[in-house]
Amino acid sequence: MDKFRDKFIEEASDLINELEKVLLELESNKENPDLIQQIFRVMHSLKGGSAMFGFNKIDKFTHHLENIYDLIRNNKLQMTDEILDITLAAVDHLRNLAQEKDDSETKNNIQHDLLLVKIVDIINENVAGLEENKTIQPIVVASNKELSTYYISFKPYHNIFNYGTNPLYLIDELCDLGETKIFPRYDNLPDLDDLDEKKCFFYWDIFLATNQGINAISEVFIFADDQCKLKVHKISEINLLEEISFIGIIEETINNQKDINIDQLLLLTHELEKVFEKEQAKTEKQTTTTSHEAGISSIRVSSEKLDNLINWVSELVTIQARLSLFAQETETDGLLPIAEEVEKISRHLRDDVFSIRLIPIENMLTRFQRLVRELSHELNKDVVFKTEGTETELDKNIIEVLADPLMHIIRNSLDHGIESTEERKKLGKPNRSVILLKAFYSGTNVIIQISDDGKGIDPEKIKSQAILKGLISHDADFSKKEALDLLFLPGFSTAEKITKVSGRGVGMDVVKRKIAEIRGEVDIDSILNEGTTITIRLPLTLSIIDGLLVQIGETKFVIPLSSVDKCYEFKHEKLANSVNYLIRTDDHEVAFLNLREMFVIDGTPPETEHVVVVQFGETKIGLSVDNIIGQYQAVLKPLGKLYKKQQSISGATILGDGTVALVLDTNKLISDYAHSEKKIGG
Amino acid sequence: MNENNTLANDNVTTFLTFILGKEIFATNVKKVLTILEMRPITKVPNSPEYMRGVINLRGNVLPVIDMRIKFGMSPTQFTDNTCIIVLNVTIEDEELQLGILVDAVDKVLELKESEIEESPSIGTKYKVEFIQGMYKLEDGFIMLLNMDLIFNSEVIILAKENESVAIDE
Repeated sequence: MDKFRDKFIEEASDLINELEKVLLELESNKENPDLIQQIFRVMHSLKGGSAMFGFNKIDKFTHHLENIYDLIRNNKLQMTDEILDITLAAVDHLRNLAQEKDDSETKNNIQHDLLLVKIVDIINENVAGLEENKTIQPIVVASNKELSTYYISFKPYHNIFNYGTNPLYLIDELCDLGETKIFPRYDNLPDLDDLDEKKCFFYWDIFLATNQGINAISEVFIFADDQCKLKVHKISEINLLEEISFIGIIEETINNQKDINIDQLLLLTHELEKVFEKEQAKTEKQTTTTSHEAGISSIRVSSEKLDNLINWVSELVTIQARLSLFAQETETDGLLPIAEEVEKISRHLRDDVFSIRLIPIENMLTRFQRLVRELSHELNKDVVFKTEGTETELDKNIIEVLADPLMHIIRNSLDHGIESTEERKKLGKPNRSVILLKAFYSGTNVIIQISDDGKGIDPEKIKSQAILKGLISHDADFSKKEALDLLFLPGFSTAEKITKVSGRGVGMDVVKRKIAEIRGEVDIDSILNEGTTITIRLPLTLSIIDGLLVQIGETKFVIPLSSVDKCYEFKHEKLANSVNYLIRTDDHEVAFLNLREMFVIDGTPPETEHVVVVQFGETKIGLSVDNIIGQYQAVLKPLGKLYKKQQSISGATILGDGTVALVLDTNKLISDYAHSEKKIGG
Repeated sequence: MNENNTLANDNVTTFLTFILGKEIFATNVKKVLTILEMRPITKVPNSPEYMRGVINLRGNVLPVIDMRIKFGMSPTQFTDNTCIIVLNVTIEDEELQLGILVDAVDKVLELKESEIEESPSIGTKYKVEFIQGMYKLEDGFIMLLNMDLIFNSEVIILAKENESVAIDE
């Protein structure tokens, strides 16, 4: 028996793996009935096998689980994320159960009870819900049109009882599928003297009207396949069981002890269908639209499909990392080159797929050009609109949201920011003023800056305005930055008189809100009489980045490769004894951040440390790490709401071995460093 | 289908109990997604001590909170019984998943409404608003926690200025 058990365990783990795979597919494609069907089938096999080999827990557990999917495939229950989560947890649990030697093991019992309760909960909730909906049910489901009629001829072999199969249970299960009309046949019954009670002499003709496919029917007999002669025919697309004439004819045939001939049956149903269809014909709608367009050079694809594609590529990249790791560890001949090839291909695939959704910001700039041109005429100002980095690409969705806020900002600049020609002359500024829109990548962010060379914003004026409006109290002490931030408060506008162009008091707060919607941030900086700069920092939502995987202590970090300049090796004592955290690389002195100290990571650094020099704008700094592991394609995952205060980490990524690495926001590190330097210096 | 019958009864709520130090706490199973064995946790630098770090849950990043620290005890020491309970909580109207680190999970417990006592407004060392109710055992209490509220606050759940509590650090 043990041998069989081992065999079952092997088979079960295959089934469980299959289940997991299908479930993950289902996640992105919840409505797919084939997948639900597949899940149901796998569970059914698992249940059958486990019962046979005495894995009672698995048997009972899958039984409940199967009930959920039975409800789903019968459209009585909607597939939800919750169900999916629970099923995935259940899959993990089944795996553990299959490892148990026998049912007396208890270590998985709590998880077992927990999951059972949750599964039963789902079923109960929805059975209750179903009853409320009963009034509309008959119309939706029971329409004749959706039910098909099947003829099933079920002839068990005489020895079917030897396999422990009870044919009546199978028929019972069939009845669960829909409306049935069953004709037991006992023509083969021998005389009482010859009757062997261990043999089955009955056979059945069954008519079933159901909305389930032929697969569902075959599945009922899945374990009795080789114990009977089974014929299943779809005989009609409608429910014939409601046609009295049909039943009458069948009953007559059977009463005459005749066998049902499938050809005649089909002929009969064909006739009946014709009658039925004539009645239906009036209500049938006809929709025919055909149009052919020649020479398609681009196609429209729903963004949902694109999202799916991107998800799959992300999965691929993650699994590829696992493959690479495995190839390196096992050192099997020939595996490494294959893994490298797969890496190359998935990188290309990733770039192409992601680029589908990206469009250069250039696309939205024309309207700003026009805006500046027209408004400056109207306001009698000489303004030129310049752009830099227009090839910077952003997700289409982000660009769509971004257009309005940018429009607002540029309008503000034109109206309030830039002085009139006379004023400029007085201040000795050139006649022609400039509005500059600059876009660039910054690690995992895209930054868009709009600056003008206008009069700038006077923080004192903002403060008095805010006090006037009752937004802040009289004696509030505000730094320049805090004062400028007041501009983002709802109902704040500094324009002394309300103009047509702007200054309706729905200014920067709307900008801020809009940008927050796409998880971006706005920052404002201004120097009086020199100009104002508004910086918008946007995340790359489609985010797989190339990174450098490094290690400090136990923790692994990813440094975005785009910001990496060079890497150096240093002896630990050299770093430890450096003055003011400065080191000499090639010909330059570079300041470095001791990340181990900054991040308060325990442990002792190795003798040889590495310094990764990263660059942001003009500033270069080194980051000291224990070890450089190598290049890594990181699928960015957000750290989530709980870590929203975390500044120097922009996200996380899952490594090949399943652990989590953190993605460093190098630009933030660098700009923070630059700020602190300024403070010390000035 | 025995479970069905008892669960269909509206007055019964099911809880998962877990152990922190010497005390037993419970959460409604509706909040619980699954229980995970201990696995390496990646500490996120410069975050509060009770946020132990993040783990990989089926390709997503799951924050893990050390419940012992949250309840004013010393940080969790990992043993064979230590595990992570994955919860669905609502924080600022947003549903999210997080893991809590506990010394051990205990059992699944079905309680009738009549068996649940209101938490006394004084005398417990934990802030009352986080405790939904109590269940009396022969030799103590099980505290039924309101998980949503607990994670909406950044504070430690000890009642403030309660001298009778020694924080073992």
